[in-house]
Amino acid sequence: MSDIGDRRVDPGLSRNRPHGNVAVLRIAVIVLFSILGLRLAQMQLVNGAEYAERSERNRFVVESVPPSRGLIYDRNGRPLVQNASVFVAVITPAFLPEEPGDRYLLYLYLEELLGVPALQIQDTVEEAQAQGLRDGTLTIARNLDRTTALMLEQAAADLPGVTLELEPGRRYIGGPELSHVLGYVGPQSPDEWRVLQDEGYAFNEVVGKVGVEARYEGELRGSPGSATTEVDAQGDLVNTLERAEPEPGQSLQLSIDAGLQRFVYDLLTNTMGEARVAAAVVMSPETGEIYALVSVPTYDNNIFAAPGLDEEFQRLLDDPRRPLLHQALSPAAPGSTFKIITASAALEEGNITPSTGRNIDSTVLEFVGEDGIIYPFYDWRVHGFVDLVGAIAWSSNIYFYMASCGIPQEGIPGLGKDIEQSAVTLGYYARSFGLGQVTGLDIASSESSGVVPSPEWKRRVRSGPLFNPEDRDWYLADTCFMGIGQGDVTATPLQMAMATAAVANGGFLLTPHVAKTIIAADGVIVSTTEPSWDQLPVDEEHLAVVRQGMRQSVVSGAASLAALASVPVAGKTGTAEFTDVDGIVKDHAWFTGFAPYDSPEVVVTVYYDLGVGGTKAAPIAGRIIEYFMENVRP
Amino acid sequence: MTVFRGQRGLREWDRFDGLMAFAALALVVYGLALIYSGSLRSYDGPAVSLSNPVAKQAFFAVVSIGAMVAVSRLDYHHFLHYAWWLYGASIVALFVLIPIGQTEFGSTRWFELGPFQVQPSEFAKIATVLALARFLSDNGGDARDLRIFGMSLAIVAPVGLLIFIQPDLGTSVIFAAIWLGMIVVAGVQRSHLLILGAVFVAVLPFIWTFTVADYQIERIAILLDAEEDPLDAGYNPIQSQIAVGSGQFFGKGLTNGEQTQLDFLKVKTKDFIFSVLGEELGFVGAMGLFALFILLLTRGIRAAQIAGDIPGQLLASGIVITILMQAFINIAVNLSIFPVTGLPLPFVSQGGSSLLTLFVALGLVQSIVMRHRAYRQI
Repeated sequence: MSDIGDRRVDPGLSRNRPHGNVAVLRIAVIVLFSILGLRLAQMQLVNGAEYAERSERNRFVVESVPPSRGLIYDRNGRPLVQNASVFVAVITPAFLPEEPGDRYLLYLYLEELLGVPALQIQDTVEEAQAQGLRDGTLTIARNLDRTTALMLEQAAADLPGVTLELEPGRRYIGGPELSHVLGYVGPQSPDEWRVLQDEGYAFNEVVGKVGVEARYEGELRGSPGSATTEVDAQGDLVNTLERAEPEPGQSLQLSIDAGLQRFVYDLLTNTMGEARVAAAVVMSPETGEIYALVSVPTYDNNIFAAPGLDEEFQRLLDDPRRPLLHQALSPAAPGSTFKIITASAALEEGNITPSTGRNIDSTVLEFVGEDGIIYPFYDWRVHGFVDLVGAIAWSSNIYFYMASCGIPQEGIPGLGKDIEQSAVTLGYYARSFGLGQVTGLDIASSESSGVVPSPEWKRRVRSGPLFNPEDRDWYLADTCFMGIGQGDVTATPLQMAMATAAVANGGFLLTPHVAKTIIAADGVIVSTTEPSWDQLPVDEEHLAVVRQGMRQSVVSGAASLAALASVPVAGKTGTAEFTDVDGIVKDHAWFTGFAPYDSPEVVVTVYYDLGVGGTKAAPIAGRIIEYFMENVRP
Repeated sequence: MTVFRGQRGLREWDRFDGLMAFAALALVVYGLALIYSGSLRSYDGPAVSLSNPVAKQAFFAVVSIGAMVAVSRLDYHHFLHYAWWLYGASIVALFVLIPIGQTEFGSTRWFELGPFQVQPSEFAKIATVLALARFLSDNGGDARDLRIFGMSLAIVAPVGLLIFIQPDLGTSVIFAAIWLGMIVVAGVQRSHLLILGAVFVAVLPFIWTFTVADYQIERIAILLDAEEDPLDAGYNPIQSQIAVGSGQFFGKGLTNGEQTQLDFLKVKTKDFIFSVLGEELGFVGAMGLFALFILLLTRGIRAAQIAGDIPGQLLASGIVITILMQAFINIAVNLSIFPVTGLPLPFVSQGGSSLLTLFVALGLVQSIVMRHRAYRQI
């Protein structure tokens, strides 16, 4: 081995040691460890505080803890709704796969599992991200059954961004007859979220959509708490560090009597006959509180929490009877029930006195118009001699043509100096009785205002290419028909109930309401709905005459089938002609009345879209009053 | 059997480098503490059990230290004598790995041998160092000749390529460094290196396009901007940065690091064990680790310096380079200045193959130190 390294021998160094370039290794060690040391110093010493803060953010998660929603009770304290946790499938868009293809595969898998179309999920996610949702979550399916929930729980481990969660849900136990009143809760629409996020709502928090659930959202919701938790890298809870308990929502006691509501619903449903829809209002003439507000047909508000909603919802939308609308808040020609308003107006204007009588010996009254042409107007029977009370009792049309239009050829004045003025005056009273405007009922719904026509109104709505110029003119018949609740005037059953209540209570047009008290979670009453009203521009003496006519109608008139042995009932029937979609003239059946006659406690309005008031609506109203006096009467 | 002069006496034990052995042992103990902390949440079995990662590592350490002592008793020329056989066996093992090896995280790096995982690339490092030392010393320990330069490259290239296709970018880089370091020690001509460097730069785009796996490109891209994809490929670099950075000067205390204990940090007893150290023991703890590594490497360089003959010098140099580069790349990954690659931190990371190989290598260095006078030509 003595030859090794000869060529490289540096004679100055000790004998025959190998003389490789070992020094370069020392340099490498120093350089490489210096690089590491400098980088370490930069990370730990220069930027350490920033990293420490990020480490904190890694582990602490502040979550909103949803409050438990307030419950809803009927006037007797019977619960109408339960809070029940439901399984929901939730997506956290931030954790979804980056790759659009992978994402869509995940959506397809969810479609198979949950039945929610992949495209719909994709739209929901994209829309939410377009709305600026960054860290939040999206609910894609609610009310999963147990099996599906378990399958999702297992699958979620392999589906990034998908989780199964328990969410406070709502079960309505009052029966479908209460659906319209209670409404339902549901996920926020994008528009709602834009407003609600400023009020601290989570993106996937449910809100009241219609009914009292929506109207009293602020009271029922409560305020969310928050929990600061320490989580590990999987997002699993390690430790709860701080918890601000949510404040439960306030509960609502309704003035609705669930038993009465059920009774009325069953009664209407079983007596529909040819009628397709029906409605009834039972309320207090003293406070304006509603005891029952029934619409037939109804729907099950629990379906809005169920999966497969779309199909059922579409069926409801396609139903020509429009089950989602409350019939008591939908307008129809009021027919003869309107005569209580015409009577009040004529008495107040003085063109009729209680003693004004007329001998109606023919079913035809021939009006001589201002143009000299003779117009025949018909009554439904030969009444003989009637005064105002008798005219209300027997629902004489000719008498009320006279009371509204007057009879020009006999020199009998109408409500105004001419037919247009008469219509305007009658319209003024109709509005005073609450027609032509929403009642302000405390239910979020599409309450209709109905129509109180006037010459000005007719000119406005009958303009346009669909109408001839003469369609815009106001005729004698317009005023006369309005006087008997026909023609263009329409009103909702609730409006007629309010008008009836105003007659019954001596001139107070009340604001109707279904919420009686708001109760805090600890049972303390937070507020009670106080009655509020407008004063009718009608003298109490005049209203007494109208009441007398209504009483007479039940005792020995058109509404006699509403009579009860136990309690004196007063009321007015209505059989309102209307022309259906096929151009056939048909009748709405109405009854609106109150009891007891001498000190009214309850107002009942019953409406069927098809039928005769005296025979169809009146006896049903009688049975409702009977039930009320026996079971509900406070 | 060839008889070497080094076997003549046992006075060599006096020259056993205790300081170097101490540094290695201290690193292992350091590692045991970090493995304990890193496995605290995932392991809840009995303390004394081979399934306990700490006990398992300690067991491997004992076996490995035994191997070091055994190897240091032998003359390193035995190993040089069989260098070509060992080298050939490594290549065969790496070949066989292609069809039957175990694949994890998209990379095939080890065999299952009973309860143990054997990583051929660990042994291939030592075999290649031996082969290079043998080849260069057979040729007078001089790499100035272009033929020697080319041949030495031809020795490293097949092993490096086989590992590159596993794929294991980090280990391939280590092979390149071993070759580069050893021929520099052997006095390579600067012009050869420059020409090779130029050729490499010229073909780099082709390598990039045809041979670098997508995941490698992604890891390199992530290195440049980890925040771009924080939940996927960027996850580990971000979490390790947060862990190390949040440790600050004194660290959060052993077993108190939230990044480690709450599982934000992955492979924290192996590739990312340095992040555990950075988080829990801070800058101070890292400097301690650096000191131990520098001590160990300095003693290794001393061995190369005082080696009795050229093969000894080259062998010691190769081993120093192996340990240095592996430590550097591993820590650089933890500090996000090198793409993520599955390299253990020498002596510290959990893993038997790595530990055994390293101590065998140290045994070789000890053998060189113990016999340097015997081979010094007086």
